[in-house]
Amino acid sequence: MKNTLIKELKELFRDGRIRLAGGIVILLLGMAVWISSSQYHKIKQQNKISEAHERENWEDQGEKNPHSAAHYGTYAFKPQYPLGFLDKGIEKYAGTSVFMEAHKRNEAQFSPVIDQTGLARFGELSPDFILLFIIPLLIILMGYNSFTKERELGTVSLLKSQGVKSNNILFGKWLSLFLPIIAITLLLFLIAGILLSGLEGFGWGSLFLLLLVYWIYYAVFINITLLTSRLSKSSSIALVVMLSVWIVSCLVVPKATGNIADSKYPYPTRQQFTTSVLVDKEKGLDGHNPWSKEAKKLEQQTLAKYKVDSLAQLPFNYDAFRMQKGEEHEAKVYQKHYQKLRDQFAGQASTYRSLSILSPFLPARFLSMGISRTDYHSHWDFEDATENYRIITQKFLNDNFAKNSSYGDWGYKVDSSFWKDLPKFNYEHPSLNKVLEQQLFSLVILMGWLLISFLLLLTVKNKI
Amino acid sequence: MITTKKITKKYGDFTALDQLSLNVKPGEIYCLLGANGAGKSTTINLVLGFINPTSGEALINGKSVFKNNIETKKDIAYIPENLMLYPTLTAMENLDYFSGIGGQKLKKDQLESLLIQSGLQPEAFYKRTNAFSKGMRQKVGIAIAIAKQAKALLLDEPTSGLDPKASNEFGELLQELKGNGVATLMATHDLFRAKEIATHIGIMKSGKLKQQFTASDISLPQLEKAYLDTMNYKELAK
Amino acid sequence: MFTYNFKYELKLLLRSSWIQLLTLLLLLLFVFASYNGKQKVDKRTADITSAQTVVDTSDKETLSILLAIEKGEDLNLSPWVTPTSPINIGNQNPRVAAMPANEMAFMSVGQSDIYTHYVLPKVSGDDFALNLSEMASPIQLLFGSFDLAFVVVYLLPLIVIAFSYNVLSEERERGSLKLLASQPISIRKWVFQKIGIRMFWISIMVLLATTVAFLLNDIKSFDGYVLFFVTCVIYMLFWFGLTFAVNIQIGKSTQNAFVLLGFWIVFVLLIPSIINQVSDVLYPVPSRNQLINEMREHKSEAEKKQDQILDNFLRDHPEYAVNNDANSKSFWHSYMASQKIVKEELQPLLSEFDNNLAKRQKWVNKLQWLSPAILVQQDLNTRAGTSKADYENYRQQILNFSNEWRDYFMPLLYNNQVFTSEHFSKLPIFQYKSDKSIINGYRLWGVLLLTSIVLVIVIITYKLRTKKEYSIIQ
Repeated sequence: MKNTLIKELKELFRDGRIRLAGGIVILLLGMAVWISSSQYHKIKQQNKISEAHERENWEDQGEKNPHSAAHYGTYAFKPQYPLGFLDKGIEKYAGTSVFMEAHKRNEAQFSPVIDQTGLARFGELSPDFILLFIIPLLIILMGYNSFTKERELGTVSLLKSQGVKSNNILFGKWLSLFLPIIAITLLLFLIAGILLSGLEGFGWGSLFLLLLVYWIYYAVFINITLLTSRLSKSSSIALVVMLSVWIVSCLVVPKATGNIADSKYPYPTRQQFTTSVLVDKEKGLDGHNPWSKEAKKLEQQTLAKYKVDSLAQLPFNYDAFRMQKGEEHEAKVYQKHYQKLRDQFAGQASTYRSLSILSPFLPARFLSMGISRTDYHSHWDFEDATENYRIITQKFLNDNFAKNSSYGDWGYKVDSSFWKDLPKFNYEHPSLNKVLEQQLFSLVILMGWLLISFLLLLTVKNKI
Repeated sequence: MITTKKITKKYGDFTALDQLSLNVKPGEIYCLLGANGAGKSTTINLVLGFINPTSGEALINGKSVFKNNIETKKDIAYIPENLMLYPTLTAMENLDYFSGIGGQKLKKDQLESLLIQSGLQPEAFYKRTNAFSKGMRQKVGIAIAIAKQAKALLLDEPTSGLDPKASNEFGELLQELKGNGVATLMATHDLFRAKEIATHIGIMKSGKLKQQFTASDISLPQLEKAYLDTMNYKELAK
Repeated sequence: MFTYNFKYELKLLLRSSWIQLLTLLLLLLFVFASYNGKQKVDKRTADITSAQTVVDTSDKETLSILLAIEKGEDLNLSPWVTPTSPINIGNQNPRVAAMPANEMAFMSVGQSDIYTHYVLPKVSGDDFALNLSEMASPIQLLFGSFDLAFVVVYLLPLIVIAFSYNVLSEERERGSLKLLASQPISIRKWVFQKIGIRMFWISIMVLLATTVAFLLNDIKSFDGYVLFFVTCVIYMLFWFGLTFAVNIQIGKSTQNAFVLLGFWIVFVLLIPSIINQVSDVLYPVPSRNQLINEMREHKSEAEKKQDQILDNFLRDHPEYAVNNDANSKSFWHSYMASQKIVKEELQPLLSEFDNNLAKRQKWVNKLQWLSPAILVQQDLNTRAGTSKADYENYRQQILNFSNEWRDYFMPLLYNNQVFTSEHFSKLPIFQYKSDKSIINGYRLWGVLLLTSIVLVIVIITYKLRTKKEYSIIQ
């Protein structure tokens, strides 16, 4: 086996085409890492400035009614997880800032793609592009003729007559494809690790898990490539078959799945979503509307609870109290509607999962984004965190309003030092365990791909 | 008809052909003998214009091969060592195609008679050539050559890999063509066949024409001795 | 030579099942893609229609209330829903400002999955908050859509490459090249004819697939149908040109496949992404976050000086101050005033932002000539009305309409006028006007130009080479 390995590696390194292709891949990877890391640092820097600025705006409100401040609201900026620079995932298509205001839950807005030219849709020269698309291609170019070339050169009978076990040849060839890929990716990840190690939230565990996912993904491609090479009549057939496999699994299946998922589980339009939220909101308490049925009901309940005759006799400002109650109702409405949206996506996700049988790219894609915290789940996690913060902020403001003023006192203003008492918005990315829990299925599917492709590779006989 | 004038072909430092001069007249069959790498195939490739000479000239019917490549090829028929046809086309279709692209428009009965002339068994005419043996493919090649009514015939190891019967038939066919005034240049290893068919024989080594004979002037044992002497010469010198 | 090549090429292609296989493949791809496109267009149309229905219903209701009030009935409505207040109408009875799909929209999803196709601008809404991005799963956006444009731009070149990467090398590898080369023909011409013939057949197959795909969308525009086919042919011409170049230059089949695949990666994947990223570096747009910061500061300032702003505003806009006594100043008066002030203050910032985006787009437009893939994608997008420029055009129209809408209500508000049924019939209406100048035939000429550049390079390198021999002998 060792001999086969060494012979194969020698052949690979002597092949000018492979050297050229390998060189180009490494060059592209270097470029991608450089571009990506400088972008990452730029965004991180920008976020830091914006956050500080926004907090300044908040603390500098001066004397003001707390509810005015609630309407003025505050912004949260989505921080990037260090690994996001390796796999940008959905970052380009997801909003980067959330406006948190009274009565209203806003989605993250301003996704980078809307500020880019139409070319943005062609893809991006980023590490994940190289890792997910180009390296499998390199594997194909390196391995498509592993077996066919032996037949074409007639060396296969020579090898057999030497009494080399065919499994040893197979493993030798397998390793000769895997080792160079391991070397390239290990180097990349080590560099990434060193670049990122100082950053907050970075964990080597996630980095190595990410690397492992890619190794499994590459192993699957090596298996399929060798399998094809074993089964093909000639090198050029093997090459064409493998390129088709690549196109189908990396381009066609993801897109087609997207379309199928979207037509089976469509999202509402923004206007439809807003309208249905509004309908549900109106069914309950509106903090600004003391005349509605719900408001009257709350009034009766509160008066009964505190055993007083009029709202003015309550020990707190009833306006603020009602507003807080309204806020709570609205939060529930939003919760319900966003949950619906997520259920819709859960349906889409199940489509992605079931069609993962057609493409090892899909589970690898989802795992990679998950571990890099740039997937949809991580995005939601951030949006949820902002919603929690919004709810806390509203309560903080309404409670102060209720406690320190009396009914009807809309002129009440808090001290300018009050704003500092609101805790800062602090977001922590989901833990690796949580990510793995979410991506368990993808992991299972990817492992399934690995095992089945291995089994097939071991059981098939060479053609001719 | 087929003439080379001090033709030389170098690949870097390696001289594949060194100042070779040949002349094959109509009705002659010139056999080039020699070991692998002696320059036989290079000579044929040069005459066909597949490769360009480093110096010297090859002429067909007095016209330079390199200056009028397409025109001179009208006069040449060539049967490569391992002649391959389109496997999904039948013998008839292959013949029709290869003669057709060269400008020979032939009718069905003409095609059939050409194949008969080449000696291909009639039941194979309308069969796809993917299952054809080398001999059968070669017969289609000969039919293509005859169809072309070429004045020069170039053959590269035509008898290697043929069974003796097929080889014999092939020899007879060449004789027939010779009678029609075709000049034939043939590279071969096969001394016996060369002696039998050729009018002239040349022995090549290291790109040079070492000896030339008129076939009728020499017996097979003499030819064999001359051949072995030429081959061993350098080894002895070593 | 041509008639024989033509006759036998067809036989060979049929017998090796290439034609059957490709026809099936193309039909599958085109039909699936156009079905996806149709679904998107249908959803878009249905969404707009249903939004319009909602508005129509609410309009009817409002009008009947208005008429009732005008007749003197007392409906006992809360002040913030009563339609006699202009601001209520401006907020609660918005118009649908829609961008309907054009007849070719199914061809290319383009940017249509990112942007919304209808908004309902309100009087109180601020332009900054006007969110034109559509709710969509970012996963779907990341993967992109399987539309006809994808099939044409990405897959068609691959099909062309697979179909003819080995026209000459196959002959050599099979062993039939020597026999072929000994015929009195020019091999280059022969390869050219073979590739031309394949191009012809693939065009016929594409025509068939296109026809089926368009029939599925009931060929709403015959010109569009013809142009789509012409686009496919011109784009394929480029790729056939490249395969021709590679076929006569390079040796083995696998080598050809390597090189052609390399070209595909460069033209379809790398050049577009590199241009995009370089444009980011050369024409940086101040980040949205920065913009948010600035906007927030202005708003905060404006809030602090609320009353002062209204006074200033009324001084600057005396037309609004008519009939305006202190008692009738409502929340809306100062709100609208400060909104307008903030908007005016932010204007330079926003236009700088837009200017930078426009500059970047301009630069990218210049570099689109580097890749036929970009040209064709842009061409299809613009004709489908789903290009960036179309949405930019739509956005501008919305901003204008939004101003028009606001301007309609502002005088009513500041003059404390009662909104009547007569006003109701004169509300501004939005009508999307597509900008035909975005569509431009020069892109297709660009692809042709690139094709001829490829061929010219082939000819020049051939002429320059001293050894004019093909590796007929290995």
